[in-house]
Amino acid sequence: MTGSKRKNKNKAILYIAILFPLLLLLFSLCLGTLRVSLKEVLEILLARISGWPSDLLTTPAANIILNIRLPRVLLALLAGAAFSVSGASLQSLFRNPLVNEYILGVSFGAGFGGAASLVLFSRNFPPQVLAFACGLLAVVLVLVISEGARNTLVAVLLTGIIVSALFQALLSTLEFIASPYALQALFFWLLGSFSQATWPDLAWSAPLILVGLVFLLKLGWRINVLSLSDDEARSLGLAVKRERILIICLATLVTSAVVAIAGIIGWVGLIVPHAVRGLVGSDNRLVLPVSAGLGASLMLLADDLIRTLLPFEFPVGILTSLVGIPFFLYLISRARTSWS
Amino acid sequence: MQIRVERLRVRHENFELRVDNLHFSANRVSALVGPNGAGKSTLLKALSGVIKPVAGSIFVDGRELSRLRGSERARLVSYVPQEHSTALNFRVFDFILMGRSGYLNIFSPPARADYEKTEEVISYLGLEALAARKCQELSSGERRIVLIARALAQDSKIILLDEPTTFLDLKHEMEIINLLRKLAEDRGKTIITSVHSIDLIPRLADFLVMIKNGQILSAGPTTEIFRAELLGTLFDYPLRVVEADGRQLILR
Repeated sequence: MTGSKRKNKNKAILYIAILFPLLLLLFSLCLGTLRVSLKEVLEILLARISGWPSDLLTTPAANIILNIRLPRVLLALLAGAAFSVSGASLQSLFRNPLVNEYILGVSFGAGFGGAASLVLFSRNFPPQVLAFACGLLAVVLVLVISEGARNTLVAVLLTGIIVSALFQALLSTLEFIASPYALQALFFWLLGSFSQATWPDLAWSAPLILVGLVFLLKLGWRINVLSLSDDEARSLGLAVKRERILIICLATLVTSAVVAIAGIIGWVGLIVPHAVRGLVGSDNRLVLPVSAGLGASLMLLADDLIRTLLPFEFPVGILTSLVGIPFFLYLISRARTSWS
Repeated sequence: MQIRVERLRVRHENFELRVDNLHFSANRVSALVGPNGAGKSTLLKALSGVIKPVAGSIFVDGRELSRLRGSERARLVSYVPQEHSTALNFRVFDFILMGRSGYLNIFSPPARADYEKTEEVISYLGLEALAARKCQELSSGERRIVLIARALAQDSKIILLDEPTTFLDLKHEMEIINLLRKLAEDRGKTIITSVHSIDLIPRLADFLVMIKNGQILSAGPTTEIFRAELLGTLFDYPLRVVEADGRQLILR
């Protein structure tokens, strides 16, 4: 393919990746037990955004759309984008297509932090804080312990499994001592679901996720260079250690901000970047934004399916694991060959 | 641009390199030569600032290397490894463009000037046909040239290379040798390269540094120290240097 043709193709993919999640958002607001037409949805949204008092806003449909479906749909979009972008960034940083936030122990670390916050402070304190702190603690543990083995991938993967197991054990301890009421909430939350999304939750998590995503997207070029060997990146002028830490912190931030309110949803960050690299190549200036769009769309589609096809609330985290784990095994089986 | 090394001590993976005093002149090709594990790569990595010395200093035009910020250092000195890591399969153009990273703020992608410099390097080296291809599709000779192209995009006066011709066939080997000479003579680059096959040295290098067991055995103009006795001592193997067609040849 010639240069300009490829550029046009990539541009088209980028626009689709931005527009598709927005269209899907409108479509998803129509779905549910109460069918609302697209026209009605648009009118309700416009009335809400314009701020004019309107009869439309007092209808039950408006209440369902604005207070139940909209936060849920937005959380699904943000979660998909967050997992995919952090997955793609970490894969480049560790130079391995199998790495993601799940493998590095972030998910269970953040899960434990969020759970501890729920049990200790109930809803009086934002769970994002402890989720981020424990997510970061998990990565640091994995990196420090595996450093002894020169950060080889096998060492990182094994340590990740062990650190995840540690936080799972801590989680079990929490579940053991939690009150029956807290336990039920904890149990459902941990399986990963967007069904409990509320505006106050989003008010804490959404800005963290958005800020983290913007910075990660702006770091796309640096992430390219950091995927070379450390010696090369250093000789090209990068402050390798500092820049790595920054990117790991940002990836942990966006992931744990999602986990804090939606629970543990794994494997999205593994599947989406892989598909995107097959589509647009390896350049993270393109891979990261397209992953954000595709990840957001897939996550929302998965949640839509669960909402409309099943008569009960099935945790989306189970669905992503059921799809993601076979995919991970498939990647491992051909890990020696190539990335895409 | 010249490099001066003073009382340098570098430790790297249970290995120590000591260089008391060494001077590389500007616009010259200097070759580092010695047995495997003598410390050639370690010296190159120290000169490029990739590994920090335990003691001593490296001055680039009077400025101490270890006191420079990464981006400042990258504009003075570039480093060409033997193989680039191939975790991600970048397009050749984007790979060469990475040479511009030292000129970019952490949050900025390459700008127009960086693209123009990259295009200039590609046309200087005649790599137009490779630019749109993926790095992992290249032959080993093409990969070496692309690595040198990245160093040229970096636009530093000093270029350090780690055995740039090892494992190449004769034609590609000579292409690289001629290119390095051209860079020193036409573009005023200061080239310092480790060399595996000593046969190439008379064609390639103005200045020769012999390294053995982490120390400098001898350093001087190639015409003066490219001698059978010294080379024999360096490699612990008797060698003869004969002259034919006005060139020095090694007999083993």
